[in-house]
Amino acid sequence: MSEKIGKHIAIYGKGGIGKSTTTSNISAALAESGYRVIQIGCDPKSDSTTILRGGNDLPTVLDTLREQSKVRIEDISAVGFGGVLCIEAGGPVPGVGCAGRGINAAVELLQELKLFDEFKPDFVLYDVLGDVVCGGFAVPIRDGLADRAFVVTSSDFMAIFAANNLFKAVNKYAPSGGARLGGVIANSILAPYAPALIDDFAGKTGSQVIGYVPRSLVVAQSELYGQTVIEAVPQSEQAQVYRNLAKFIDENEETVIPKPLNGPELKKWAREWGDRIFEVEAGVVHEMASI
Amino acid sequence: MSHHLEGSRNSCALHGALQLFESIAGVVPVIHSTSGCGVQHYLGGTRLSGGNDPFGSPAVSSSNIGEKHVVFGGGSRLREQLKNTVKVVQGDLYAIVTGCSTEMVGDDIPAMAKEGLEQDWPVVYANTPGFRGDVHQGYHLAAKTLIEQLPELWKDAEPAPAGLINIWGIIPDQDPFWRGNLDELGRLLEAIGLVPNLLLGGDQGTAAWKRAPGAALNLVVSPWGELPARLLEECYGTPSLSLEGLPVGAAAGILLTRLTEQLGLDPLRTEEFINREQARLQRQFALLADSYYRKGFQREFALVGESSQVVGIGEFLGKSLGLLPRTLVITDNPPEHVREALVNRLTTIVPGYDTELVFSEDRAEIADAIRSGQAGVVLGSSLEQEVAVELGVPFLAVSFPLTNRIVLDRGYAGYRGAVALLEDLGSVILADSLSV
Ligand SMILES: Nc1ncnc2c1ncn2[C@@H]1O[C@H](COP(=O)(O)OP(=O)(O)OP(=O)(O)O)[C@@H](O)[C@H]1O
Ligand code: SF4
Ligand SMILES: [Mg+2]
Repeated sequence: MSEKIGKHIAIYGKGGIGKSTTTSNISAALAESGYRVIQIGCDPKSDSTTILRGGNDLPTVLDTLREQSKVRIEDISAVGFGGVLCIEAGGPVPGVGCAGRGINAAVELLQELKLFDEFKPDFVLYDVLGDVVCGGFAVPIRDGLADRAFVVTSSDFMAIFAANNLFKAVNKYAPSGGARLGGVIANSILAPYAPALIDDFAGKTGSQVIGYVPRSLVVAQSELYGQTVIEAVPQSEQAQVYRNLAKFIDENEETVIPKPLNGPELKKWAREWGDRIFEVEAGVVHEMASI
Repeated sequence: MSHHLEGSRNSCALHGALQLFESIAGVVPVIHSTSGCGVQHYLGGTRLSGGNDPFGSPAVSSSNIGEKHVVFGGGSRLREQLKNTVKVVQGDLYAIVTGCSTEMVGDDIPAMAKEGLEQDWPVVYANTPGFRGDVHQGYHLAAKTLIEQLPELWKDAEPAPAGLINIWGIIPDQDPFWRGNLDELGRLLEAIGLVPNLLLGGDQGTAAWKRAPGAALNLVVSPWGELPARLLEECYGTPSLSLEGLPVGAAAGILLTRLTEQLGLDPLRTEEFINREQARLQRQFALLADSYYRKGFQREFALVGESSQVVGIGEFLGKSLGLLPRTLVITDNPPEHVREALVNRLTTIVPGYDTELVFSEDRAEIADAIRSGQAGVVLGSSLEQEVAVELGVPFLAVSFPLTNRIVLDRGYAGYRGAVALLEDLGSVILADSLSV
């Protein structure tokens, strides 16, 4: 690949955990501070950039590729809030075809179109669908496409499980030039134990939490306006949280190769946390804790 | 488990299935895969089996899917291809076979076949991606498809004549002599009052497959015939008789006697036929005798081929012709449970003589085995010609792939096959002795 233009960042995480929301807000915050940003949704649902562009229609790369043989960047991109260039890879309808190969084909096309040479981005953010279910979804972190991967997780076990799976993929590809881990983004923080739980997981796997995003009504409200929090409620505390995340990503380029837990380790870890949370909820007071 | 394989002679499941479907008159295969699959079937398969496929694979209908079908699913491409095929090629049966790409993507093939059926097109399907196995597996999958799906299609099964015998286990083109072998087996069965159901060949159409469930017996001549025979046994209770290889020469008589006993046929008629054929074979031996002794026919041989060929040809050469089986190589990866029987059978063809038996499909490994065996004549595929030349010994191409022979109706099974083998092997030995 020719010299890379801009910093390429991939965001992973369990389905529905808040990847698109978080990524869009980070994009908006980066744009707000003057950077040129591209956000690429790598998800057949093609809803990654919705709140950056007021919910307007955007033909996906693959749909366009299917319909016309010659594709131009203008056909498959839209300029959203703060000048963020929005692109949706798209994919097949659920249950047919191979979405993984779709991501592959879309990314290849973007490279053929010399998107990065044309747009000269400072940041490119890839918002990648749920679990790394097959090789196709690992494309952004393979081949050195993205330099850094971040994972969004809540304190739910299944979200942690998905994060651990991403660690496995990073662990596999990083040594041969794939992306390394930038850190963990803790999202939808509500329960008092949540930060400690996610911290503990990060610690056990040799990674770090780069920010805690509270669960907030502002997010839902902004979404209903078809906007990011940065755009809809720029003065809010929530907006500041996203700005801090963006700032961290901008200023810290440190990465690690995480050490994912194996099956039994993860189960044991979860069980221990289960016991602790249950005790907290049930109001059991340990002698030690009472001192 | 995985190892490097050089010069493989076992193509993929898709090709095995195609080879079966293409060998039934009136069956029109439709490939649902990338375009290379069909081309490769011709280049690496039918073209190398004795030049006996005038309408080989380049003309096979194929959906030739591209990236967009991989991403979005190729079902609609198949639908279109099936429709066009039905329009252009008249057939009694359309058989969809799938390749690796469409199976990875998970195209819903049964649904596409069902759509065809709803239009009153006779359609069956077999999921045959190369990753399911090799050419032998493809034969299995295609046979299974026909056995399981045809009764659904034709509720009016064709009544089977009494004494109908299905023949299983000969894979078209993988055995370049498949036509001749089937014909001779048919002749043998007819001679003792049975009705052969060859199932494959230019004169064998879908009607043969309609009759198959009503057969009196399944005759299995290679490990690859066991599965179809078992399926028929499970569905229709048809008994079977399993041989590990083709009956060549005297072995044909043994088979006929067994069949006569098992099916309660007229023993006198059978005996009379066997005696007549055996006497004829003896006369051929007598005709050969002069050359046999003058040119030193009796020598050690190396034989490379599918298990059914190695058993049939190897035993005939060793037991009836007095040659010595130095190196025997079985290339079709027979299932574990038949290997022991093969070892017992093939290492004792000539009692007291040390035969090396190798299971391998690797060209280099096979060449090494032949080289170290130092046999005086090599029978194998064209891939073994080089090592025969290196050893300076005569070579006869008898197994797939075969590049230097035209095979139309020649076969090496039965009595006639034995004579053909005498002629062919005798000729290469003679030619070799003249060239020195
Ligand atoms: N911090 C938060 N506070 C409140 N709601 C949130 C928060 N983060 C995300 N959400 C809400 O959760 C829902 C799912 O978020 P989002 O679409 O970003 O998830 P995703 O991980 O991209 O999902 P998918 O895997 O389906 O693409 C959205 O309705 C979003 O508004
Ligand atoms: S192995 Fe797969 S891709 Fe190759 S020819 Fe066979 S079906 Fe086609
Ligand atoms: Mg999303």
